[in-house]
Amino acid sequence: MDYLYSILILIGLFIILASSFDLVIGHCGLISIAHPIFYAIGAYVSAMLAKHNIMPIPLAMLSGGVVAFVASALVAVPALRVSGDYLLIASIGFQLGLIELAKHIHEIGGAGGLTNIPSFLIRDYGRESYVVLVLVLAGLTVLFIKWLTQGPYGRMMAAMRDDELAFSMLGRNAIWVKVSVFGIGSGIAGIAGGLYAHYFRFLEPDQFGLLQSSAVLTMVVVGGLRTAWGPVIGALVLQLMPQMITFFNLPPSVLGPLQGLIFTGLVLVFMFKRPQGLLAAPVIWTGKAPEKRGA
Amino acid sequence: MAVLEIRNLCKSFGGIVVADQIDLDLKAHGVLGLIGPNGAGKTSLFNLICGVVPPDAGSITLDGLSMEGQPIHERARLGLARTWQTLRLFPSLSVIDNLMLGPRDYSADRLIDVFLRPTYIAQREREARQRAEYILERTGLIAIKDSPVMDITYGQQKLVGVARALMNEARCLLLDEPMAGVEGQTYALIQKVVRDLAESGVAICVVEHNVAFIKDLCDEGVFMFAGKVLARGSVDQLIADPHLTELYFGT
Repeated sequence: MDYLYSILILIGLFIILASSFDLVIGHCGLISIAHPIFYAIGAYVSAMLAKHNIMPIPLAMLSGGVVAFVASALVAVPALRVSGDYLLIASIGFQLGLIELAKHIHEIGGAGGLTNIPSFLIRDYGRESYVVLVLVLAGLTVLFIKWLTQGPYGRMMAAMRDDELAFSMLGRNAIWVKVSVFGIGSGIAGIAGGLYAHYFRFLEPDQFGLLQSSAVLTMVVVGGLRTAWGPVIGALVLQLMPQMITFFNLPPSVLGPLQGLIFTGLVLVFMFKRPQGLLAAPVIWTGKAPEKRGA
Repeated sequence: MAVLEIRNLCKSFGGIVVADQIDLDLKAHGVLGLIGPNGAGKTSLFNLICGVVPPDAGSITLDGLSMEGQPIHERARLGLARTWQTLRLFPSLSVIDNLMLGPRDYSADRLIDVFLRPTYIAQREREARQRAEYILERTGLIAIKDSPVMDITYGQQKLVGVARALMNEARCLLLDEPMAGVEGQTYALIQKVVRDLAESGVAICVVEHNVAFIKDLCDEGVFMFAGKVLARGSVDQLIADPHLTELYFGT
């Protein structure tokens, strides 16, 4: 049963990660694959705040999201001022650099990992309650991103993706939109990190590396960029698939690389054979139905 | 007083001079035509005014406010609008949504409003939609307002480009070849829209190769060559000048 709960929670967390990543890469068109590092920041910040009894766990989780939001803005502002392409390089550098740094900070567990993170809800209300919490938050994330991208802010993101120069000439601040969206997406990932930390109660820097980046990227690409349910389907498929492989009793030395191969292989196959993903986004941004708009 | 004042504007890319000590005034109610052969620096002048490229020297003021160092979007918010030679419409938006992004103050410019002030956002969206529909009415596009901009004719796309720029309620409007590839009814429509705008007090500058259009539309013309303003006067005067004609058509 615990195994099932863990899978459900991971599915929920990856729905949050994939949806928020789709906001950044799909809707806003920002090329970055460092999403997991903001997940990590949220996880570590929340874990440390709770472990040292600085604040109650829900507040610690929120703080993790806030710190991830601020950190992402600090990465994005200088990178985007130069050009959008630098964001990819700056964010990967930030991701790998921070992981290496974390391995050498004894206070947060170093390379061996941070243990004994306080658990949340489970002791009082059972593991089921945590599953419900994560799945409800996953649902809210999907709805929130759907709401944001179908409103006037979504219209801005669509236009900016199309033609940034024309967009600026209308008086819209492209850099500000990009930094905001990058921050929101990363902040949501940070909150997901807190949810991870207080259930699994163990964090190590290496789990937030490029393998996880490729996993989240695959979920979004396979599910369908710029669709509300694409990342959900992607998270389901790609969370369940590696679980199925584990039943083959392969040694861990094969299992890890095999998962990486599946993820990157799937991205390649989909890029060539079905670039729109399992669910295809409409070509034209329509927002909400016109009659609901004015309401 | 001039709406847009350009003083001593200089710009060169390597050895190529695109703006050589340009002084130019755009006055309210006036339509100024920029004439000159390819490579004279007409579009470059537009890019300098809009902040797409920074000048090497010189100043540009809009209604007396210096635009030095201002990014493109800030200039637009001061009341500067332009169209593009290559249109640059947003292909993933419908005609009306292309226009909806055009007001100087867009509903969702401040993200905090999106989250905390839904009634304000709805109000601004309603206003923008009304204005967009009014402009689409005037430009004869209202029947296709929900069509994707890639599904309409080239002439209609040209009109959408102009209509989108009108959303700004700009003090100064720069039109880059609005008539290229346009004929008949659309030609007449663009002409009327530009004329009406000038009458309402907007300062307009047009780059156009079609001399007939410049004659129909502009009160005054400026002849540019190799980044320099060589002459300013009535369009007829400029066309009649044998020296300028020679520069324009080559020898």
